[in-house]
Amino acid sequence: MSTPVLELRGIRVPGRQDPRLDHVDLRLHPGERVALLGASGAGKSTLLAVANGLLKPAAGTVLWEGVPLARSRRARRRQQARIGTLWQDLRLIEELTVQQNLNAARLAHWGWPRTLLNLLVPLESDACAAVLRRLDLDPSLLGAPVGALSGGQRQRVAIARLLRQEPVLLLADEPLASLDPRLAADLLQLLLALASPPRALLLSLHRPDLLAGFDRAIGLRRGRVLFDRAVADVDGDLLAELYGGSGA
Amino acid sequence: MRPAPPLLMLLPALVLLPVLALLPSQWHGGGGELIGRFLLAAVQPSLDPVVLRSIMGGLAVTLGMAFLGWSASLVLGLVLGAASSRTVWSTLSGHRWPAEALRRLLAIPRSVHELIWGLILLQLLGLQPVVAVLAIALPFGALVARVIADLLDTLPTHTLEALRGGGAPAPAALLTALGPPLLPGLLSYGGYRLECALRSATLLGVFGLGGLGTELRLTMQSLEFRELWSGLWLLLAVMLALETGVARLRRRWLMPSRLGLAGGGVGRRGREMVLALLALVPLGLVVARALGVEASALLRRPPLPALPPPDWAAVAALPWPALVAGTVVLTLVAACLAVGLAPLQWLLVAPWPAMKMLMRLGWALQRLWPPPLTALLLLFLLQPGLLTAALALGLHNLGILGRLLLESAVDSGAGRQQALLGAGSGPRQALLYGRLAPVANAYLAYGAYRADVMLRETVVVGLVGATGLGSQLMESLSSFAWDQILALVAVYALLTLLGEEISDRARHRLLEGKGQREREASQLNTSY
Repeated sequence: MSTPVLELRGIRVPGRQDPRLDHVDLRLHPGERVALLGASGAGKSTLLAVANGLLKPAAGTVLWEGVPLARSRRARRRQQARIGTLWQDLRLIEELTVQQNLNAARLAHWGWPRTLLNLLVPLESDACAAVLRRLDLDPSLLGAPVGALSGGQRQRVAIARLLRQEPVLLLADEPLASLDPRLAADLLQLLLALASPPRALLLSLHRPDLLAGFDRAIGLRRGRVLFDRAVADVDGDLLAELYGGSGA
Repeated sequence: MRPAPPLLMLLPALVLLPVLALLPSQWHGGGGELIGRFLLAAVQPSLDPVVLRSIMGGLAVTLGMAFLGWSASLVLGLVLGAASSRTVWSTLSGHRWPAEALRRLLAIPRSVHELIWGLILLQLLGLQPVVAVLAIALPFGALVARVIADLLDTLPTHTLEALRGGGAPAPAALLTALGPPLLPGLLSYGGYRLECALRSATLLGVFGLGGLGTELRLTMQSLEFRELWSGLWLLLAVMLALETGVARLRRRWLMPSRLGLAGGGVGRRGREMVLALLALVPLGLVVARALGVEASALLRRPPLPALPPPDWAAVAALPWPALVAGTVVLTLVAACLAVGLAPLQWLLVAPWPAMKMLMRLGWALQRLWPPPLTALLLLFLLQPGLLTAALALGLHNLGILGRLLLESAVDSGAGRQQALLGAGSGPRQALLYGRLAPVANAYLAYGAYRADVMLRETVVVGLVGATGLGSQLMESLSSFAWDQILALVAVYALLTLLGEEISDRARHRLLEGKGQREREASQLNTSY
């Protein structure tokens, strides 16, 4: 089998009382779409933070495409550029235009001249227009300030930025929360469609009824993996145990 | 091709190019060894008990003068602020014009720097503590008055109308409807003013009005750098304690947690605020007694020397265009240095947390170190002149702007910065795009206001010469040519009012498109 896009081995992240993650193992292969389930506080966000390299676990190994986080700053930046995260609050830069935001995803590959020039004149318009078109957005939006967009447009611009980054690992932390049902369904289809090999998707989800398009589901409870199996094998009893009240 | 905000905030730093190009021509480097000794002394300040006692005494006097001047300015500002509020006048009498007239009148004391007030009062009253107190209280009072009046006039009036409609008498209705919402603004702004007062009291000391500033200048002139640093470190400790204390009170009173609100915290906070304000009165009396400030001393002023008849021809013969131009260029160069260097420095040190700590320490020293002393220090290396003055003024304000930049960026953009880092951008790129972009416009707006303050401040570096109106004023003051002083102060004030108008417009343009609330908030926090 090919090298996993992401591999976690024996991850432990201490918390105030109980560990936030404990002995977590996970493998994500190219093209896989995996949903992360669990009650709030189960450690979903922590796991995603470890997966995108922003949180260093106290114990355990994280491998991206088979290699740990590089020591040299330059190599590490190249590595992180291959990990794309869709944040729940989108984290777009309101003060800049859509195009400048899209180009922000290329900063990992850019030196200072282009970093500064991007703030003055539109750079790489064709590539930016292309990602907008892939998301059914009008390229005329490129010059618009992000602050002036509608909620739905902002979602799509955030995903367009992700595409512009050209990652192999797509992470998304509860991207569907706070969206109305139709918008949520559209967005989910969009994300699932993006996860074609070699790209893999790991998405935390608060609604088990939306599992349909995923290959696999991982249930987290109190920082531990409760189950990791094909979506077809996730049944009501398992979910009841996952979200169940005391169930010590 | 309009530069995006984060780029716009770096553009003023381009002034470094001409400054660095001109620096060699100004360099004499004669005091290089002295600068070395000065820097070395930073890590070995004098611990001699005699020195420390004298510095502590000086510090106590400076603190006392700052506190008294500040308290008086609050009282003055409250009274004059209410008296120049359109809402207050139209509620009480139905007319608005007295408010407008008083506003215009108050622009005059506001536009004259406290140092000019101090030096003129010194001539009139002789050397006594009350001079420094008044020099701080008068311009600060006029500033506070403007803020209060603006606050009062932007508060929503429907509570007031409801109370009036219910038959409440005008004064009672005003106090009930406008008092409580005014209090947080007053305290937030007042706290910031206290820090300014401490800086001003130190500065006045440098010009001989007593306290720590005088000690600093004397040790500097006698090249006792180790003693100088004892004073500086002590002042830094006090300044940082004050800044932290003010910030903590502000958080406690103005940004209550949601839990606090639910627990009926509003009433408790209100009582605390009122008590704190009332406690200032007895405290002020005690401090005044300790300092020997007496109101009656104002009457026992020394007889003025016989004034020579005015020589208006000589006044007209002053090189006015050159004086004004010098002042404006000095202001612009210093302002660009201060505004542009703060984000640039932050960007440069971004990858190293230890360097960032060092930068913060540098900024703290720069803002408490009075600009004329920086100018004296620079004279060890540079020729006297405009560039030296601009550097001294710019570095001082860099300390103030830098702190503001860090503070405003604390609660904005951390998530965006993290997102960019997570996508592989470098620490500097993430800072520029994620952290600085959201605050850029507000920062530049503050910079525009600060430039206006710096225009007023050019007088304090007048002693290095060739700085336009400031150095000419110093000269005229020392020869007590009152006709020249009068004309210079008038021109200075006019120039300042003009600058205020321009910086107001720039600010509004920069904050355009922001919500009304945001605009008001940023004006309240940063203006004046």
